[in-house]
Amino acid sequence: MITFASRRRRNIAILVLLSVLSGIVYTIYTLSLRHPNFISGWTLFLIMLLLALYNVRKKLPFIPLASSSSWLQFHIYAGFFTSVLFLLHIRFRVPNGTLEVILSILYLIVFSSGVVGILISRSVPARLTTRGEEVVFERIPTFQRHLRDELDQLVSHALSEAKSAAIADFYANRLLLFFAAPRNFWWHIAQSNRPCYALINEFRALNRYMNPDEQELASEIATLITTKDDLDYQHAHQALLKYWLFIHIPLTYSLLLFSLVHGVAVYAFIGKI
Amino acid sequence: MRAIPRPQRWDSPFDPNMTDADVNRILSILPFSEMNPDDFPPSTPLHGILHNDTRIRRYQSGDIIVREGDYGDSAFFIISGAVRVVLDGLPASMLGRLEPKRKTFLQVLAQLWRNPKEPEVRHTSRDVDDSGVQARGDAGSATRIFLQNVPGVLDAHNTVQLETGAFFGEIAALGRVERTATIFAEGEVELLEVRWQGLRDIRRRNRTLKEHIDALYRERSLKTHLLATPMFQHLSEDEITEIANQTVFETYGDFDWHTSYQTLAGESAASRLAKEPIITEEGHYPNGVILIRSGFTRLSKQFGHGHRTKSYLGKGQHYGFDEIVHNWRRGNDGGNSAVPFQYSLRAVGYADVLIVPTPIIEKFVLGPDPENPRLPKELLPPPVAVDEATEENVQELTHPEVDEDMLELLVENRFINGTATMMINLDRCTRCDDCVRACAAAHDNNPRFIRHGPKVGNYMVANACMHCADPVCMIGCPTGAIHREVTGQVVINDATCIGCSTCANSCPYHNIRMVEVRGEDGDLILDQNTNAPILTATKCDLCIDQLGGPACQRACPHDALRRIDMQDGMKSLSDWINR
Repeated sequence: MITFASRRRRNIAILVLLSVLSGIVYTIYTLSLRHPNFISGWTLFLIMLLLALYNVRKKLPFIPLASSSSWLQFHIYAGFFTSVLFLLHIRFRVPNGTLEVILSILYLIVFSSGVVGILISRSVPARLTTRGEEVVFERIPTFQRHLRDELDQLVSHALSEAKSAAIADFYANRLLLFFAAPRNFWWHIAQSNRPCYALINEFRALNRYMNPDEQELASEIATLITTKDDLDYQHAHQALLKYWLFIHIPLTYSLLLFSLVHGVAVYAFIGKI
Repeated sequence: MRAIPRPQRWDSPFDPNMTDADVNRILSILPFSEMNPDDFPPSTPLHGILHNDTRIRRYQSGDIIVREGDYGDSAFFIISGAVRVVLDGLPASMLGRLEPKRKTFLQVLAQLWRNPKEPEVRHTSRDVDDSGVQARGDAGSATRIFLQNVPGVLDAHNTVQLETGAFFGEIAALGRVERTATIFAEGEVELLEVRWQGLRDIRRRNRTLKEHIDALYRERSLKTHLLATPMFQHLSEDEITEIANQTVFETYGDFDWHTSYQTLAGESAASRLAKEPIITEEGHYPNGVILIRSGFTRLSKQFGHGHRTKSYLGKGQHYGFDEIVHNWRRGNDGGNSAVPFQYSLRAVGYADVLIVPTPIIEKFVLGPDPENPRLPKELLPPPVAVDEATEENVQELTHPEVDEDMLELLVENRFINGTATMMINLDRCTRCDDCVRACAAAHDNNPRFIRHGPKVGNYMVANACMHCADPVCMIGCPTGAIHREVTGQVVINDATCIGCSTCANSCPYHNIRMVEVRGEDGDLILDQNTNAPILTATKCDLCIDQLGGPACQRACPHDALRRIDMQDGMKSLSDWINR
């Protein structure tokens, strides 16, 4: 079994080799007064098409067309290779035509979202095992609802038993909102517990107005707040793992579409070049 | 707190309908009539064994009694009538099994539009008319599969007859190995089925039966087993025979370990370890090489007030050779530098072992001269580290590539039983569920595993069939629907599964589910008598009919999921973990 390090070294070596080769071909074309943009453009388009096919391969897992892991490795390194081809294609200049600007922006978003995606895929999974109970993403709303139900019971218990509004007021003003939906997305991504600590501290400050029975209920509620915060942590990270693809994939199709338009335009005006 | 009578061995007799009259009848038949009841202790008298550990079964002509490849925990004695042993094997379809068949590329592609929208739709016909066998009796243990054309089978296959007074199935029952032949009733036959506990006790107390079973094992399997062990491969046939004659057979633990597995799961690690029977104890004289014939064992070393798991050993592996070689090399110093067993060896669940005594190893395997060993030098182990156990050297002795916690989890939970244990590296898994979707796509839109399970560190053992080396799920299937393919996968034949749940209840890992099945129109299939939905057992089949192997593993973009074979001494696991 090839190690990840060996695979990475091999793939980087191939990428560097292909990039150097592309540079040489580009130089030869330029020196021989031939137009290198056709070959770089077509190569770029075909590779982008292959990259987009990875999503199709994912939809056909039973087809024996190499493993998804091999496809992803190709996807990553061929993706990096497109950046070399892209730079050669635009001749290291900022494009100026409307279509070219749109195309370049689309490319840059797709490319950078891909890079961000790799970083997310490599760094976020390890975080999921470090805090709270891991819950399947689709089941998080159900867990959230259970927590809210537990909270409601504790609060109504506090109202009926302790006959005090200290907990109920806090519930109405702060907890209801906190438990209604996933919260503090970016704080969790930044690995900060600050909002949760702030909320719990604010809640504990009410202890002085509570009798012992209420304090016991408050302690249970504080545990629920921590559990909900852990659930939000799971939600934030799992959402990040899923949602970056909602930028990367649709824009890939837009990029391919605009590339086609670009190609048609180039061939339509080829006589004037 | 509630007080109950202490559970006793025979609280659940094999057959509650067994009467004293039945037992007395059996006791009047050879070889039971020749057995001396005084040889049996008062706690397990012969009468009690026959009353509680046996049952009388009657078969009609053509009824299949045991199938080749099945796992069983009982043996049979022919009270009256005769049975036929099929020596050259019956076709898979006659044994209620799937004919191994892979989909073509077009069939694989067609799954894209042919996969049904409703869950658990079955395309296969449930009729087995064309296979040469039929079922009789109701669903459940009473169901019997019988050969429709016994004369045809006798003509087409090489068979031998076993008559009244013969035993069969004892090696598979005691050794927990596959049945080697299919046996069916030839005419009306009455059998005494003895479950393994009873057989073990009778063998232990009755010299005739012990000699009979031991001779059978020595004759059929032992030499092959010895020759499969590298240390014996350079020996002549006579020497192997001599070693076979001196080899001792022992069974530790409980064959029915799967029934106590869940109870033990709630106990502490130390408590579970304490309940594992000790085969050899750390610090004791190495009296022989212990060869694991079947089952699993744990090698552990005392550390603090507990035991640290060093490794596990399964079928074909051995323990004790290192110590014996170490002492043999230092034979001339009067035993001053002799080492005892360095680890304790315990049965995890159960273990069937062979013990080759030390003098035999020294005489035949090693030879008289340590300078000139009979065994090729490359097969001789290095000297044993005899330092006191410290934190540092115990770490060295522990399997270097596999984390200690991981090893403990795998052994304690008996995941070492797997040949295709699904492990997920949670540091690489992006929870995309591509594996689950791929599994569903390859199984008519029904995922056959759950991405959930016990975790240790950043690894998860997912709830997927592990295709166990000791497949307890296969014991007791009345139709043979759950079986092991030649290629090793344990699979269920939908067409012959009667939904009795025996396999699902037996699986200690809860990796078999009972599902309500639907016809191609999407409607539930109902029992025409009770109107209850028809159930079928389902589980991972390792994508046996797909091109390219397990879809889950192939679908993982991040190399986070792997089906690991635990039977190769942790090599696959270690390679994967240390990628």
